Amino acid sequence: MSESRDSQSSSRRNFLTTTGKALAASMAVTGLMGTSQGEEAKPCVNSSMPGKWDESYDVVVIGSGFAGLAAAYEAKKAGCSVVILEKMRTAGGNSIINGGGFAAAGNPLQTAQGLKDSPDMLAADMTREGLGLNHPELVKIVAEQSWPVVKWTIDEFGAKYQDHLMQEGGHSVPRTYMTPTESGADVFNPMLEKLSKMGLEVRTQVYVEKILRDGADGRVKGLQVRTGYAFPKVGSGKVKTIQAKKAVILAHGGFGQDVPFRTMQDPKLTGTMDCTNHPGATGELLREALRVGATPIQLSWIQVGPWGSPDEKGFGLGPHFAQEAAAMFGIWVNTTTGKRFISELANRKLRADAIMNFMNHGQKCIAIADDNMQGGVKHLIPKLLERGVIKQYKTWEEVAVAYDVPLETLKKTVADYNRYLAQGKDEEFGRYLNKEAKPLQLPVYVQRLLPKVHYTMGGVNINANAQVTDVGTDQPIPGFYAAGESVGGVHGAVRLGTVSGPTCLVFGRIAGQQAASEKPWA
Amino acid sequence: MASFYRYSKTQLRGMSRSLPLFILCCVSTFMFSAQEPQRLPQAKPSDCAACHTGKSPLPKDHAATAGLTMSDCLGCHVKGGENSLAGKLPLSHVHQLQGVTCGKCHDDANSPEPVAKSKCMSCHDPEKVAAATAGVKPTNPHTSPHYGKKSDCNLCHHQHEKSENYCSQCHKFDFKLP
Repeated sequence: MSESRDSQSSSRRNFLTTTGKALAASMAVTGLMGTSQGEEAKPCVNSSMPGKWDESYDVVVIGSGFAGLAAAYEAKKAGCSVVILEKMRTAGGNSIINGGGFAAAGNPLQTAQGLKDSPDMLAADMTREGLGLNHPELVKIVAEQSWPVVKWTIDEFGAKYQDHLMQEGGHSVPRTYMTPTESGADVFNPMLEKLSKMGLEVRTQVYVEKILRDGADGRVKGLQVRTGYAFPKVGSGKVKTIQAKKAVILAHGGFGQDVPFRTMQDPKLTGTMDCTNHPGATGELLREALRVGATPIQLSWIQVGPWGSPDEKGFGLGPHFAQEAAAMFGIWVNTTTGKRFISELANRKLRADAIMNFMNHGQKCIAIADDNMQGGVKHLIPKLLERGVIKQYKTWEEVAVAYDVPLETLKKTVADYNRYLAQGKDEEFGRYLNKEAKPLQLPVYVQRLLPKVHYTMGGVNINANAQVTDVGTDQPIPGFYAAGESVGGVHGAVRLGTVSGPTCLVFGRIAGQQAASEKPWA
Repeated sequence: MASFYRYSKTQLRGMSRSLPLFILCCVSTFMFSAQEPQRLPQAKPSDCAACHTGKSPLPKDHAATAGLTMSDCLGCHVKGGENSLAGKLPLSHVHQLQGVTCGKCHDDANSPEPVAKSKCMSCHDPEKVAAATAGVKPTNPHTSPHYGKKSDCNLCHHQHEKSENYCSQCHKFDFKLP
């Protein structure tokens, strides 16, 4: 089982030693060292510009999740006229329905609890688990800004967090701030309110049909949109043009719900799989960005969340229990063998792949925890029970019968785990053992596990200034920025849980600031 | 059989004269029978036939509606009963029958634009709405961890088309909505 270990494999460590070389290579890719194609390279251009624009702004932001709001906020603060376009009927995308976790390396809660951490440690975790496909300069920015950007949400918007740290798979230490209700909405809504006070409302039901990149100078100058668009009715709404005098910022998110596109990138992820995303997480704007010359990067790396539940739709509440209760303070078990099968804190890909492989052989997995779980997940237990996502059992016999698990092996698995806790070392999988973990005891809660499509690591390529690069020249496309899940290259093969929120906010802010500093072309 | 398709010159002359009229009749019949009901801001709420110019949307043996108000309708169509109108009568009609005519929501009823949620909330206080459904299972539809109590009423409660359970995009909440 040594292949399944999360952070212990020596072959993984080798990636870290190559980061110096990787840095040089990635600088070339992101356009910092100029084109590798010589003077013949030509930018990809789109079309002629409309003679008259229906609307005009300095900065046009597409998408209203964390990345979009952060970008809009910075551009607005810098004095720009800004518009935020959202194709759906509600603002927030996946940011308003996510789990509310924000990885923050070297934060004050860690200091108070005597947990050693640093941006370098987060960068090392991201790079190791991302199989070294991550662009080091982008990783560095996220890691260094991870705590400052959480502090920014507190200072700037009054966001609130629990005083308990969460740990997702692949992180070497607990470092994640959780919002009070365990939903990203707790951060998103204060941001939305502040923007509203600044006179900036999200324009919903605006579908972007075309990114208008001028054939004459290669600059992105605006958009052709449909206002009054009624998702998912193709062709609904009225066609309008919107001028972006300084920049267009892509913050449209990922394509997890785009079954044809995601299956093209990863044929395993067919339409029979559930997805945690909102239904609008589709790929048409990524396709459009590529059509006007954006460089695609790592589109095939699509994350499947291992902690989903077959007893609810989408993201739901199951991931909170399976991760924050069972993976941190309990165990995950294969019901056929009655044994643990992986470090419950291995990265999402290792865990999801293991479960999907079992499922392909007709085997199932469950997550088990008792009342010793810590943090906000405790408050979700009544709802989890009521919705049938978890069930409570008073004896191991009941668990064995309910999930068809070999009883004696299950009991031994629990006894072994409790022994590992007592000795402070997981002999089987080397899992990080939480300081607050206690021996697993009855009664217990059990959740069935079902991996669900969750996040698209790939997207358009950006440089450290969040500028989208041209596939023809490797150079930044003038007036074109991107942030959030629409961007690839930050997380490589595997995004670590709860690093998405900080990534969206950090690069959203950079994109907004950089866009604001552009000289207007009109 | 061939003679079946043969027409005399007189017949043909007659047809060519009446053809435009014939087409007009066909088109107009089609328009008024298959088209969406009209939206006439000046129509009396209980005058179904004013907008529904084609086939009546009511059952054949339905009582005459002239002069009726919503509370009259509820005399037979008891809330929660077998004949409940929930999900059957568009909410725009429920509004109309209670005196909330087109112009009370749309600034220009003759050229209506989408209505902002603040307009809905000027009558339907979100706090009161949420309190009224506090006991609904599996969860209160009028408050959520995502949108609080401020979500747009029109996400679910459409006025001119069938309402929808917006939450069901991501959740297994089997809400019954008006």
